[in-house]
Amino acid sequence: MIEQENGTLHDAPLAMVAKVRGALRLGAVNGAARDRGMAVGMALADARAVLPDLIVAEMDEQADAHWLMRLARRCGAWSPHVMVTPPDGLVMESTGVDHLFGGEAGLAAQVEDAMADIGMTTRVAMAATSEAAQALVRYGVHNGQGPVDDEGGAIRALPIAALGLEDEAALALSRAGLKTVGDVAGRSMAAIAARFGGEAVTALRRLLGEEQAPIAPIIRPRPLRFERRFPEPIGLQSSIAACFLDLMHQAAGEMAQRDLGGRRFALTLFRSDGARHRLMIETGLPTRDPALVLRLFDERIAALADPLDPGFGYDRITLLVPLAEPLLASQSALDGEEKQEAALAELIDRLSTRLGPDALRRLVPQDSHMPEQAQYAVAAIHHAPIPWPAPAQGEPPLRPLFLFDPPQQVDVIAEVPDGPPHRFRWRGTLYEVSRFEGPERIAAQWWRRKEGEIPGMGGLTRDYYRVEDRHGRRYWIFRHGLYEEKPDPHWYMHGLFA
Amino acid sequence: MSAPAFAELIAASNYSFLRGASHPAEMVARAVKLEMAGLGIADRNSVAGVVRAHKAWKDLGRESCGLKLVVGARLVFADETPDIIAYPATRHGWGRLTRLLTLGNRRAEKGDCILRLPDLLDHAEDLLLIATGQDRGVLERLQEARPGAVWLAAHMLRGGADARRLAAAQALSAATGVPLLASNDALYDSPQARPLHDILTCIREGVTIQSAGRRLAINAERHLKSPAEMARLFRACPVAVEASMDLLSRVQFRLDELHYEYPHEPVPDGWQPQGWLEHLVMRGIKNHFANGLPKKYFTVLQEEFSLIRSRNYAPYFLTVHDIVHHARSLDPPILCQGRGSAANSLVCYFLGITPIDPVREKLLFSRFLSEARNEPPDIDVDFEHERREEVMQYIYARYGRDRAGIAATVIHYRPRSTIREVGKALGMSEDVTARLSSTIWGSWGGDVPQARVEQAGFDPANPVIARMKNLVDQLLEFPRHLSQHVGGFVLSQGRLDEMVPIHNAAMPDRTFIEWDKDDIEELGLMKVDVLALGMLTCIRKSFDLLRQHGLGDFSLRNVPLEDPGVYQMLSKGDSIGTFQVESRAQIAMLPRMRPRKLYDLVIQVAIVRPGHIQGGMVHPYLRRRTGEEKATLPSPGPGYPQKELEEVLAKTEGVPLFQEQAMKLAIVAAAFTPAEADGLRRAMAAFRHKGTVDRYKERLVGGMMARGYDPEFAERCFKQIEGFGDYGFPESHAQAFAWLAYVSSWLKCWHPAAFTCALLNSQPMGFYAPAQLIRDALEHAVVVRRIDVSHSAWDCTLEEGGLVLRLGFSRLDGFRREWADAIADGRDHGPYQSVEDMALRAALPPAALRKLADADALKSLGHSRRSGLWEVRRKPPAQLPLFAHAGAPELGRETDTPLPKMPKQEEIVADYQTLRYSLKGHPMQFLRDAFKQEGVSPCSHTLDRADGRKIRVAGVVLPRQRPGKGNAVFITIEDETGIANGLLWARDLEKQRSAVMAARLMLIEGVIQRSKEGVVHVMIDRVIDRTAMLAGLSGMTGGETHRPSAHRHPRNVRILPKSRDFH
Repeated sequence: MIEQENGTLHDAPLAMVAKVRGALRLGAVNGAARDRGMAVGMALADARAVLPDLIVAEMDEQADAHWLMRLARRCGAWSPHVMVTPPDGLVMESTGVDHLFGGEAGLAAQVEDAMADIGMTTRVAMAATSEAAQALVRYGVHNGQGPVDDEGGAIRALPIAALGLEDEAALALSRAGLKTVGDVAGRSMAAIAARFGGEAVTALRRLLGEEQAPIAPIIRPRPLRFERRFPEPIGLQSSIAACFLDLMHQAAGEMAQRDLGGRRFALTLFRSDGARHRLMIETGLPTRDPALVLRLFDERIAALADPLDPGFGYDRITLLVPLAEPLLASQSALDGEEKQEAALAELIDRLSTRLGPDALRRLVPQDSHMPEQAQYAVAAIHHAPIPWPAPAQGEPPLRPLFLFDPPQQVDVIAEVPDGPPHRFRWRGTLYEVSRFEGPERIAAQWWRRKEGEIPGMGGLTRDYYRVEDRHGRRYWIFRHGLYEEKPDPHWYMHGLFA
Repeated sequence: MSAPAFAELIAASNYSFLRGASHPAEMVARAVKLEMAGLGIADRNSVAGVVRAHKAWKDLGRESCGLKLVVGARLVFADETPDIIAYPATRHGWGRLTRLLTLGNRRAEKGDCILRLPDLLDHAEDLLLIATGQDRGVLERLQEARPGAVWLAAHMLRGGADARRLAAAQALSAATGVPLLASNDALYDSPQARPLHDILTCIREGVTIQSAGRRLAINAERHLKSPAEMARLFRACPVAVEASMDLLSRVQFRLDELHYEYPHEPVPDGWQPQGWLEHLVMRGIKNHFANGLPKKYFTVLQEEFSLIRSRNYAPYFLTVHDIVHHARSLDPPILCQGRGSAANSLVCYFLGITPIDPVREKLLFSRFLSEARNEPPDIDVDFEHERREEVMQYIYARYGRDRAGIAATVIHYRPRSTIREVGKALGMSEDVTARLSSTIWGSWGGDVPQARVEQAGFDPANPVIARMKNLVDQLLEFPRHLSQHVGGFVLSQGRLDEMVPIHNAAMPDRTFIEWDKDDIEELGLMKVDVLALGMLTCIRKSFDLLRQHGLGDFSLRNVPLEDPGVYQMLSKGDSIGTFQVESRAQIAMLPRMRPRKLYDLVIQVAIVRPGHIQGGMVHPYLRRRTGEEKATLPSPGPGYPQKELEEVLAKTEGVPLFQEQAMKLAIVAAAFTPAEADGLRRAMAAFRHKGTVDRYKERLVGGMMARGYDPEFAERCFKQIEGFGDYGFPESHAQAFAWLAYVSSWLKCWHPAAFTCALLNSQPMGFYAPAQLIRDALEHAVVVRRIDVSHSAWDCTLEEGGLVLRLGFSRLDGFRREWADAIADGRDHGPYQSVEDMALRAALPPAALRKLADADALKSLGHSRRSGLWEVRRKPPAQLPLFAHAGAPELGRETDTPLPKMPKQEEIVADYQTLRYSLKGHPMQFLRDAFKQEGVSPCSHTLDRADGRKIRVAGVVLPRQRPGKGNAVFITIEDETGIANGLLWARDLEKQRSAVMAARLMLIEGVIQRSKEGVVHVMIDRVIDRTAMLAGLSGMTGGETHRPSAHRHPRNVRILPKSRDFH
């Protein structure tokens, strides 16, 4: 039984808070905070009244649970049967394994040391039943020093809270003068059952080791790891490919059974002289299509600076799928649109594999008035496409598809204060404006500027005009600044309409 | 060429909550500055802000400022209809508009308004309508309903396609015949409001400014623009600008047209209000002066009558009289008492509204009389708090819901909420903003000590903190939402909903109007304050108990006057439970004041207020009262009446304590006109907010100096008046409160059992928790008996001729009234024989039984707390029908060894846990030995320890109070010997804050300070939290030692309840 606590990061009082029935309450406190009167369950407002410099952070129960699960997996090194008792307990079945670690005391010491190495404070207790061990670790007086000499006595000395009854029942027992587990055990079980129900008796018997509760150990999924060993090293490209395809089919079968698809595949080639080659590919969508994965590995190999050198051949090849996601068997749509999408995804996978994941990017929309911020580029393989906002019905596109980054300065003749350009000079050429629309006035993002909330400090406003020259070509031009903001604002070409 | 005239007719104020970003007055001022011909204020489905706009416009000189103000509302529909702005052209139209809004409000949950286009078409008479959006169907329907009174709004807001939109609007206008109207759809006065407007948008949408994206306005164009600018923007369509003048000229309605008519109900047929009022007053005189009215009274009464006649206030007095009369006519009658400015009048005295004789008490009638004040008189009436609802429902029943409504209270943005919301919008975490609001800006606007800021971990020069402060300052005092006033009723002769829209309140059966008390005053509507006062309930219950037990038949009017025993008691500072004089500050003052007559209480009530302590009046007053200093009143220069201040200040030893005195001082000594003096009174209430102070300072000090007064004296007078701030009392308030303070003290003095019983039955009220009230009763030799199923009722009761107090089940946390009643009813058929017998006859559920056992209320049935609990837990959750029918005990006998006996200390702790007090002893007595070894004295030792001696005392913490400016924290602790009063200076608080705030058991080290009057305080040096010692008492050793559960019932971990504290 292991109990995890927040590691003491520093000496400042720290508390994690969570919202309980509408009020922020402390969910966990560190030693420094506890020393200064903070306790779990306190309302944050009360805690602050007492200790204004309490540092608080939001409680992340999911992360805690995740971490506890990881610790549980780690405990698999000592016992095959490990159970989590959230939020902070682990139960380990030590029957038949403790002799491997020097007996009960040795096992307890090993667990504590290993946990201390990763910054965890633990309390360990051993007992005949998991309930008893949990009770000893949480309520025991001798500070969880592993096995106890007189287990029965220790358990009988525990406070009644260790029974895990409802608060109301625990209070009633205490009011009746029954303060310890032993006091309760001394009464007739019929009298206890008549007042506190059968479950109280069961809880008591389990604590006393008179009844066993089943332990529900965590099940760890087998890793997706596949291996081939060869008595004679192989070196031929074709043999390697065949072996890989074989491995991949095996992996696909396994993943299909578990409704998984791989997002990351690692191939390791062990050369007979001890050298090792490791290749890794990723896909944008989960897949278990051997041909597709093989093709991507081909791309990967082709992109290598130094070609693979089999030397005297490989004597072992392993395939590992470190990242897999749920993938159900799909049914193809009639219109084939899905196919198109799949084809694009495949192309993205291939190009990203060949050129590197960051080389291939896609634009996704971003909610902003600023034209240059209304979209941003992300690695295509890591992000699914996001639909673009559709323009209003019957409206011409107000913004061009092509933007200059940065905008290019132009010389403009225009009417003051906010008339459209009459003519403008761009890249040395003079353009006469024949038609225009605008301005579309876009104010600067004051909150991104230092002191931007102060009048006059919020940044320059832009006036955008859609203009058409005599040849029907359309441009997107803006004046950077109103005349009241800046006496002589500059003009810029920001984009071209198709 | 001068610009064509233009009126902005679509302008919102910040009463379009979280959309408009300027106060109504700012919009009006800006419109005047821009030389607009007119401004139309129209908020979203509301006219809540228009009175303020109207007032601002009046203050700027009405039409003479060049602006015509029109008021209406922007109708926002629930059925996709684009918004329509409606302006009433006439008084009739205004009524249609308010009824339309009322319809929408009443349909919706609180705070919403659900309107559909057909509703508008039904109410469209005399409304001028501006349609937004370009919906041809809507335009045609409007045009049909109101031909020639519909406009289509056109905007040039720099959206990129303005010209195309305008062309489309022109085409639509031509096709439908609806003229275009140029507007800027303004949301704020100037473009500088953009950051604030963006923050409002974020608060509304619940997003941060960084992630708000296109939910923010794209630019800052929606501000008021000058006629020249509008003409330039609309040069393609000048008729749209001209149209604004057409609409403007069609509006004849002005808010001051809302003539007020008093309801006629209180006047019987065949009588005129004035005649009826005089008749009633004459009837009242007979009760007070059987031998005819003395001349002095007659003169004052004639003055009052003539003023009331000239102002036509008679219906107002009659309405108040009607309500009071009704409350008293009920069986049993509801106690009530009036106060407020008009309560200074003899008319109120003779009508029985107030118990204060203004002639005898020389009250300043001019506070009410002021000819310059053209506003209705103000009378607040306090009723028993438990029965006020009956009075309110009577008002609704008598005047009808369409003619009676509660005033609104505008809830403004306050520092805490503003910091939290602005912080959230700026993307700060809740934790940071919580820390900012609690540690740094606890006193917003005041100086923030550098140390505090740094201690909280913030650099005041940090740009984020500076930005926060800038925006918070702008948002402060913005209206946030409307709520209902505590008890201000507006009554009218005509339909109220044709005057002002009516909303549903959060409470069922309540409605309130959209205007608050300032608006109501501005428009001269009549308001009656129907307030709730807990002490009246308590006094009534005391009188009832006395009557019931043959201890006398008393009422508010026949309690023996000027009883020396009462003053003796008060002079000892023995006032826990009484009205107004029970706080720690009051208790500390009583032995110094040594009240000897009612008027001393009037002063006592008025003087121990934060304002007076700040204004430095308390000490001069006390010195003069005790004769240490002579009450010399300076005289003006020669040529003026030398004793002119005598009349004003003599009765308060030359120190101005009441608002009336401040006013009269200004009139007499600084030659203020009554109107100016009234302005001073108003400014006093607002000193803290508005800084109108300087104007009056110059005027007052200058005026007094001109009359030859010593400048230093004049300065001091002003400082004292300034100190009133928000806390100043008019004397009539103090008189009314002092009378209740006297009556409650009389009850406490002569009938402590009945008084404590009534106090406990009127909870929650007052400063002290029930446990302290019970303890105080015990100290006054009252026999208090515990709750017992064979004797107690729901309420606390009196036994043995009214001298013994029996606690009731209501003292038991979570016990239900129906259980208590069932227990009491069950006793009618003979006493209970056993727990089972009682459970059966009173049909009590297991939860009730457990609570009774836990509270040790089964003693008369032969059960101790422990055996009782063990017994009642045995009950099966539901009665088996077969056994229930047979009525036979269904559980066999158990043969278990008896439970261990409960030690006394556990009994006491259990008492504290269930009842918050114990009649068996005090937890401290079990810790006494331990404390003795540490050299800690019992609390009683503080009383006889000499001044200046060091002392260490320990005890359970009773309330911590931090009055007024918070320079000092009062801490009271209690042990088995009594209480000790500690005083901790705020500067010493910080370093031991956690001990002070968290301790339930506290050890105090300090020095005894004993005043000449014998008041003892421990001036605290150090506070030590010894709460941990309590845990050992409960016998619940070793709860979970290492991980307390988050969901444990607080009762289990707390031995002692939290005290009533400041935070």
